[in-house]
Amino acid sequence: MKRIIGNQLTSGKRTLFDRSLFLLKSPLKTITFFMLFGLILGYGSPAQSQDIAQTFKQNCSSCHWIGGGRLIGPDLKNVSQRKDRDWHVRFILDPKAMIDSGDPYAKKIFAEAKNVLMLKVPGMTAKLANDLLDFIEAESKLDSSQFAGKKVALGPFSAEDAAKGLELFTGRTKLENNAPGCINCHTVNSVGGSLGGRLGPDLTQVVARLQGRTAITSWLSAPPTATMKSQFQNKPLNEQEIKSLVAYFESSANNDRYNFDSSIIWIAVIFCGFGGSLFGLILFSGIWGKRFRAVRHPLVKLSKIRGES
Amino acid sequence: MNVRSQISMMFHLDKCIGCHTCSIACKNIWTDRKGTEYMWFNNVETKPGTGYPTKWEDQDSYNGGWEKKNGKLRLKSTGRGRIIPNIFHNPNLPSMDDYYEPWTYDYQNLFNAPEGDDQPTAKPISMVTGEYIDIESGPNWDDDLSGSPIYGENDPNIDGLTDQEREQLFAIQRLVFFYFPRICNHCSNPACVASCPSGALYKRGEDGIVLIDQNRCRGWRSCVSACPYKKTYFNWSTGKSEKCLLCFPRIETGQAPACFHSCVGRIRYLGVVLYDADRIEEVANLPQEELIDGQRSMILDPHDPQVIAEARKSGIHESTIKAAQNSPVYKFVKTWKLALPPHIEYRTLPMLFYVPPMSPVISSFDGKTVDGTSEDLFHDISDSRVPMKFLGNLFGAGYTGKVEYALRKQKAVRWYRRAITVGDVDMATAERILLEADCSVEEAEEIYKLTSLCTVEDRFVIPPSHREEAIEALQDPMTRKQEAGFGFTAGPRRGM
Repeated sequence: MKRIIGNQLTSGKRTLFDRSLFLLKSPLKTITFFMLFGLILGYGSPAQSQDIAQTFKQNCSSCHWIGGGRLIGPDLKNVSQRKDRDWHVRFILDPKAMIDSGDPYAKKIFAEAKNVLMLKVPGMTAKLANDLLDFIEAESKLDSSQFAGKKVALGPFSAEDAAKGLELFTGRTKLENNAPGCINCHTVNSVGGSLGGRLGPDLTQVVARLQGRTAITSWLSAPPTATMKSQFQNKPLNEQEIKSLVAYFESSANNDRYNFDSSIIWIAVIFCGFGGSLFGLILFSGIWGKRFRAVRHPLVKLSKIRGES
Repeated sequence: MNVRSQISMMFHLDKCIGCHTCSIACKNIWTDRKGTEYMWFNNVETKPGTGYPTKWEDQDSYNGGWEKKNGKLRLKSTGRGRIIPNIFHNPNLPSMDDYYEPWTYDYQNLFNAPEGDDQPTAKPISMVTGEYIDIESGPNWDDDLSGSPIYGENDPNIDGLTDQEREQLFAIQRLVFFYFPRICNHCSNPACVASCPSGALYKRGEDGIVLIDQNRCRGWRSCVSACPYKKTYFNWSTGKSEKCLLCFPRIETGQAPACFHSCVGRIRYLGVVLYDADRIEEVANLPQEELIDGQRSMILDPHDPQVIAEARKSGIHESTIKAAQNSPVYKFVKTWKLALPPHIEYRTLPMLFYVPPMSPVISSFDGKTVDGTSEDLFHDISDSRVPMKFLGNLFGAGYTGKVEYALRKQKAVRWYRRAITVGDVDMATAERILLEADCSVEEAEEIYKLTSLCTVEDRFVIPPSHREEAIEALQDPMTRKQEAGFGFTAGPRRGM
């Protein structure tokens, strides 16, 4: 800070007062400061076994059970006996690279999963993979693992369930924990002609793709993909909602009524767009077509035309 | 009765020589700034002609002024409901082409041109784009006769003329024309004031001068389209509209406005008239043929004791009443009925009046020579080269009666003066002609004096403005005590 006394520029020494004003002057800087401080504190603590169970639940349990049988992916009970630790760690770190590399075992399990690719978990490290494998090993030794699979009551679905599922899918009924409605990103059979979202995959054949009700139920209880996880991690679907949605997915997969090629709708949209524009232009020319443009220029033009003839 | 005073104007067209000195005087004072290049608060038009902007009298195109709708007055250009479909643009504005593209000349070239076979020329440069241009029109293009076959033919006042009269007009455009100087009319029912969405325009209470408050103007340009005389202009630099201010700083110091002061032909007269503001609406609503009489009846006799008493009650200063009694405009308009308002059918009740011009006798063309002789020197006015209908369209709301009356009286005064000064006409004939023209000998003498021998004091009767009283009505004049300044310290500019 420079000070001018009389006409002399004095030294720019900062006082304590000047520095303390820094926090007041810039609220943004202050907030950043405290946030960084908080982050440093938060990273210090070691991962507890409770945390690793949580990690497994969030990232693995939707496709894998431990001792409950095959879900979308294979049962992980005693998985460490199937391959060595190093192979597992490498597979967890990047499943796609492993399959692409032509590893025969990786290709075999990929085929078994009906070509559903295991997701690369964001933020996965070799240490975390090791921790997870340790955890799976420990859980495998138990008589009944907490991840042995929840027996979901999947009685026969009624038409009412499917109808409720449609309501949830389209967002007409709000999801209990305020998660965003499916239709924002997904579509099923063009959702009655309204097209639905195109951001996420088409869910018409999702039950078949994920190999059955059990798997999709499990998947929905803790969606593992990065996009879904960010939305549903803290706003999970409840059991009743999952049931309704699965019922809806199943019923709509076999519904031919709306199961048409949605490009027809796009063509209609384009035609309506052109038609609407044309209508707008006609309307505008009706309102403003006779508006006043110029006086002198037409006079000169007219006289030139007359002069030539 | 609600008596108001108005600084009113009268232009004696029979004296105008079309020298444009008024326009230049005005231009040099008011519109030589950036953004005002194309503006002429005062301009002189040649009639017949289309004027500036082109065909400004054609209200079917420009939609200026008022119209009667279901017995009520409404603006032609805009209204509360009608503004909605046009809220994003103002559809009735003249384009720059209809004014003209302002230009200057490349004078430097006269000094700096390299040596060549020919004389260097100063090429015209657009003041808008800065590029060399071919001049296509100008503010007095008709006068320059550059395009009269185009422009003269399209004068809106030609409407309703017979074929014979039209033919006569073709002769006019080559052989005779008259000048029509125009400034803001400072109307008593101004369309510009009525149209302004910001309320920036106002008619000054003490002298009726119509002004645009540069602090309140938001550049809607409604006034430009609403004024049927196209006498408000948009300044593209400041984003505000501007108009003739009747040189109010000069009026307030007892001087005539610049265009009046500089007038070479001494055609311009300025004086106060008192009028009844309660009757404005009623008069503006009259049928077209009654408008001129209506406006005349609205203007009050300043000698009438009742009018004087009412004027005092309205707070009009004694000196203003006295000025109204000496007003040359009052005499021309009301006493002698010589001066007529321009296009009163636009219903803005203009407070600028014109004495219609005399013109030579119709000449006949036999294919070889033009015969312009007449049996008597002061031919009957119906033989004037300018058809009565044309003048009637311009000054008589489409009717010729008032124009003929004014011309006949002017002619009678000439006969009378000729009988005195030349003597080749006997006085008895002159007096008979005066009688026919509804003019007494005393009146003729007075008209002659005020037309031909008028001094500055006769032409301009400007009362002390008593600005302090006007200010007092709105604010404490002592707030300005011990302050110095010239009004604006920062000029008007775009934005709030």
